[in-house]
Amino acid sequence: MRLLVIEDDPALQRTLAASLREEHYAVDTASDGAEGLAKAREGAYDAIVLDVMMPKLDGWEVLAGLRPAVATPVLMLTARDTVPDLIKGLNHGADDYLTKPFNVDELLARLRALIRRSAGQTHSLIRLGGVFLDTVGKRVTCDGEEVALTPREYSLVEYLALHRGEVVSRARLYDHLFDEDDDTLSNLLDVHVSNLRKKLGHDFITTRRGHGYSIT
Amino acid sequence: MSSFLHSIRWRIQAWHGVILFLAIGAFCVTAYHFAWDHQMRRVDRELQDSEHLLIRTLMDAVKPDKESGQISPEELARHLRAGDLTLPPDVVARFASNSYFSIRDFDGRILLQSASVPDDLVFLPPPKTGFSDDSRAVGLRRESLRSSSRGFSSVIGRDITRERDEMHRFAWLLAGSGLGVWFLGLLGGWWLAGRAIKPIATISRTASRIAEGNLADRIDTTGTDSELDQLSHVLNRTFDRLHTAFERQRQFTADASHELRTPLTILLAETQRMLKRERTPAEYQEALRICHDTSERMRHLVEALLLLARQEASPPSTSDAQPCSDRNTVVHQSCNLADILGETIAQLQPLADARGIKIETHLHTASCCGDRSSLAILAANLVGNALHHHRSDAPDRSVTITTGYDDELVFLIVSDNGPGIPVEDQTHIFERFYRVDKARTGDSAHTGLGLAIAKTIVGNHRGTIKVQSVPGAGATFTVSLPAAS
Repeated sequence: MRLLVIEDDPALQRTLAASLREEHYAVDTASDGAEGLAKAREGAYDAIVLDVMMPKLDGWEVLAGLRPAVATPVLMLTARDTVPDLIKGLNHGADDYLTKPFNVDELLARLRALIRRSAGQTHSLIRLGGVFLDTVGKRVTCDGEEVALTPREYSLVEYLALHRGEVVSRARLYDHLFDEDDDTLSNLLDVHVSNLRKKLGHDFITTRRGHGYSIT
Repeated sequence: MSSFLHSIRWRIQAWHGVILFLAIGAFCVTAYHFAWDHQMRRVDRELQDSEHLLIRTLMDAVKPDKESGQISPEELARHLRAGDLTLPPDVVARFASNSYFSIRDFDGRILLQSASVPDDLVFLPPPKTGFSDDSRAVGLRRESLRSSSRGFSSVIGRDITRERDEMHRFAWLLAGSGLGVWFLGLLGGWWLAGRAIKPIATISRTASRIAEGNLADRIDTTGTDSELDQLSHVLNRTFDRLHTAFERQRQFTADASHELRTPLTILLAETQRMLKRERTPAEYQEALRICHDTSERMRHLVEALLLLARQEASPPSTSDAQPCSDRNTVVHQSCNLADILGETIAQLQPLADARGIKIETHLHTASCCGDRSSLAILAANLVGNALHHHRSDAPDRSVTITTGYDDELVFLIVSDNGPGIPVEDQTHIFERFYRVDKARTGDSAHTGLGLAIAKTIVGNHRGTIKVQSVPGAGATFTVSLPAAS
């Protein structure tokens, strides 16, 4: 999962990005509204964390620039906690809303829910045959046995599981699993897929030659 | 009962009733008196006519003896005393019913009188010379009295019961119509009073709504330019000012809470992240450094907010006559801006050296009256601001500080050759939390309140602060304060 954090305060931006990366998200950051809008339009993000009070373009203007063309879920961060502000945010196309100061676990839970909903899933536990995916604990069990996965492997499984039935291209996987600073090697994905097949069974991930991968 | 007594409408009505009653009463009494006077004059004229007729008849009765010429009163009196004069029947008939006359000698002897004469007749005493006459009312009679020094006294009178009854009827009519007019006046007054205080009720309702929290509400002032409309305008202006002050305060609280929420979020997020699992000492150190920096940032912000609140709590001085006199909240003393700036520069010199900025000074004596510590904060904010806004890569960076006298004022000029301030920002830089470089630099000392505090301090010293800046060519802040006398 790849997230974009648009936050002008450098310390808060750093802390948020660190917290999200520790939850196995690929995280890009933007320090003002204009940069954020540009990145949000270009990049393939699964969710955007957007601060309201920002220089150049504020959160509302970024949101107005995104909608309706970009459907990525947006979670707004704001210091204003009045009901009119909240309603304004939701009416302008925000999907969720958090007031500063917030609990990071709440932010993570809301982001998980946003990503899950936008992928059409209804529950945090995803069952794929004998494999169970716990998107909260970031754990995978196969036939009741917990399987140890690296963060990147887990992200790959989660992305494919959330878009189960779809054939996900390699480019799309690269877009959603690595942030802009990652050095991506062309065969990195093949290594991960091959490791996952070893751990979860050879048929768990199907390869469509020339198209990509899918989980059914 | 108390509301009844305290109601303006009732009080206006009561006063209106009393005054109207007195006015109508005075009018009725005057009208009655005029009417009575008029009646009496009419009766008097009637009596005079009767008297003339009587005298002429008596004269005519005397005339046959004296062929021609004037008949003197003495002669007439002599004839009367002789009793040789009789009145023709038509004249006697005239004095038959309710009129009477009596002619007497000075010793009281009746010379001639009508058939019915009241018993209590009073005659005028004989004057020394000529005539004396009078008209007077005696009980229910009106009499015309005459007395001649060489003749006799006469009384001609008549009963005025009919006139008196007429006047009674007239008095009742007056009283009745007066009461009617008074009653109509009361009704009109009640309506007028209600109409007059109706705008007050509107004002009161609007004020109540505003008091309940609807601060944007205003009194309708579409009426004519009456006194109450003027009051409404004054009240509306007051409400505007209160609303503006309230909004400013609300905005300030919102801004302050916003500014405090971000560092608080950093502290919470960072500590929460750290506590999730075991970390290396280096990670803990990094986290602690972030928390420390953030706490410092909050400390600066809280200090700046308190400073601003304290400065705003000291009201601008109002006394123009004695700028150094004692004031309620701030002890103003004679200060030399040059000394204050000297100390400020000494404190900030290390920062300037670290940033490679040259400080040039032209400090001339500039004595003003003020609070020394506030002026030191002002100086530190302006000089610190100039040092902070230099681009670190520009060559020949300098800050020039000048103090001195300018006529009745002392001035402090802080100018730098830094990047300057964009034109669109120049009008806003003294607002709280307004940052020209909106991308926060992470500099913990930069709260966005420095220039707001400076402006408040200058305002408290009855001075002005201005900024001139050409983007790219530096900024110049000029503070003018009244000089010490």
